[in-house]
Amino acid sequence: MVTAVPREGTVFDIGYQRYTGVREGRNRARLSVVKDGVRTSLGLGRGAWAKVLPWLFIVVLVMIAFIWALVIGAAERMGGPGTAAEIGIPSHSDYYGVASIIIFVFAAVVAPELLCPDRRDGVISLYLVRPLTSLDYVFARWIAFFLVMVAVAWLPQFIMLIGLCMGDAAPVQYLRQHWLDIPRFLAAGVAMSAYTTTLGLLTAAFTTRRAYASVFLVGLFAITTPFTTGMAMEIGGTAGRWISMFNLSNIPVHVNDVIFGQPSSVTRAAPAAEFSAWVLVGWYLLWIIVPAGILSLRYRRLTP
Amino acid sequence: MSNPLATAEAKPILAAQNLTKHYGDVVALDGVSFEVHDGITGILGENGAGKSTAIKIFLGLVPPTSGSAIALGQNAHESVTVRSELGYMPEHDCLPSSVAAAEFMCHMAEVSGLPPRQARTRAADTLRHVGLFEERYRSMGGYSTGMKQRVKLAQALVHDPTFVFLDEPTAGLDPAGREEMLELIRKTHREFGISILLSSHLMADVERTCDRILVLQSGRLGQSGEVTHFTKETETVFIEVDANREALMASLESRGIKVAFDGHGLYIEGPDESVYDQIRDALVEAEAPLRRMAPRRRALAELFQRDGEDLERELKW
Repeated sequence: MVTAVPREGTVFDIGYQRYTGVREGRNRARLSVVKDGVRTSLGLGRGAWAKVLPWLFIVVLVMIAFIWALVIGAAERMGGPGTAAEIGIPSHSDYYGVASIIIFVFAAVVAPELLCPDRRDGVISLYLVRPLTSLDYVFARWIAFFLVMVAVAWLPQFIMLIGLCMGDAAPVQYLRQHWLDIPRFLAAGVAMSAYTTTLGLLTAAFTTRRAYASVFLVGLFAITTPFTTGMAMEIGGTAGRWISMFNLSNIPVHVNDVIFGQPSSVTRAAPAAEFSAWVLVGWYLLWIIVPAGILSLRYRRLTP
Repeated sequence: MSNPLATAEAKPILAAQNLTKHYGDVVALDGVSFEVHDGITGILGENGAGKSTAIKIFLGLVPPTSGSAIALGQNAHESVTVRSELGYMPEHDCLPSSVAAAEFMCHMAEVSGLPPRQARTRAADTLRHVGLFEERYRSMGGYSTGMKQRVKLAQALVHDPTFVFLDEPTAGLDPAGREEMLELIRKTHREFGISILLSSHLMADVERTCDRILVLQSGRLGQSGEVTHFTKETETVFIEVDANREALMASLESRGIKVAFDGHGLYIEGPDESVYDQIRDALVEAEAPLRRMAPRRRALAELFQRDGEDLERELKW
């Protein structure tokens, strides 16, 4: 049976028309800047070159965790339960310490991409004529990069957890015994991410050139580590411990140690590790709050 | 100061009251007051006259030193919500080179408060409106100057604002691109009713596009009013002949008619009906074959040549 086809035509006006739909205002604007920040960080919606660096770092971080899990699994299988810990193969508590340099370099390379091009290309003036303040903008960028950093920090830890569970002869029993590692590495990942996000964006706020910001930040981490370590050893005592506190790479790792309740392989020998947990956490918070304040002041005074 | 732009009934879209802006010792705006109503209004002035500063104050990008700048009944510096009803096309570059126009438009629509699905539709519609639909998935870094100007206009319109500020929209365009851009601006107002403030130092752009003009000179309001008001008062007759131009000029001057030559033709200022008879007689006497004779409105540039030599030097055709 043939269905009768109506002979009337329909005109679809696909041209520019007045918009009569809903306007969601400032919250939609903030959310959009966050979403764009996440996409920019990961090179999504950009050319192939924009994806190379962030994904290279992510793959390296995941590979470290993966290989680590394989080694621990193999050691436990061959030597029996507890062998990995006995021969000192690092685990969840050590991961952020060991991978911190890669996480810092990732932040140094990617964070400037969220702020520098907007000021260099003049896009910032388009943001600031929309229902968005300069503080909304920079806070949304901070949230965007923080989310990316959290994902970058947590993903290898989860891969390692899965690897360790699977590598154990009794995966469920392993999970029961080590379930506390999960909230610990989640919390430590948040601490690491907040620190690297704030410092990365603060550096990017002072230049329109991404390369300058990246080199400065990598240089800062690369220089402070040997310099403060050497000076702290040389001077010793309380002064040495305080100098050791200026090792920028170690600041979030000390918080990681506080969360896990034991020093990681990276900070075990650092004189600053002798300070109480309150001092270490307070020092860490200072390094978040002061740079965040400078960052917000910098953008509050921004005139496109 | 009396304001010819204000109409008694309509509420102004923009209202500046004693607007002053200092950048250190430099006075960018000096107690400027004016109102802008529905339509296309041109803001004309030499470089540094304060055009861009006035626009930035209305948009809330910079605070005024004193005075007030009200857009759509609100101060954009204090209330960000009004900005979702305003559009802005800056003079300077403002496009990320590594992003496709469609993606950028969609993002700008969302930042203006539109939900994602509507933002995607609006992005496509607006790019079609400015003639870039086919190129929308290309990175903007590879666009020509004309295409970039179109994207800049599109991002100002993507959220369907009530009022749009266009800062030097024809900057860097060749004559054809310039004409296309001006037509696009006219069409935006004519067909969609979006009111526009067009800043330019090109008098021809303002004259061909705008209903009204504001002239800023060194941070002060020079003149303001309907474009036709300025050009109507100064009607001239343009005469072009194939030969014997000097004889014709002599014949006209002997009849007491003031005549000027611009390299192409003769101009006679403010003629009344009787002058046409005298022109006819002079043409016969000089045996000058007439090619063209037509009434001509004065251009804005000529008007300002008389009003300020400094302005004339800076403003260009």
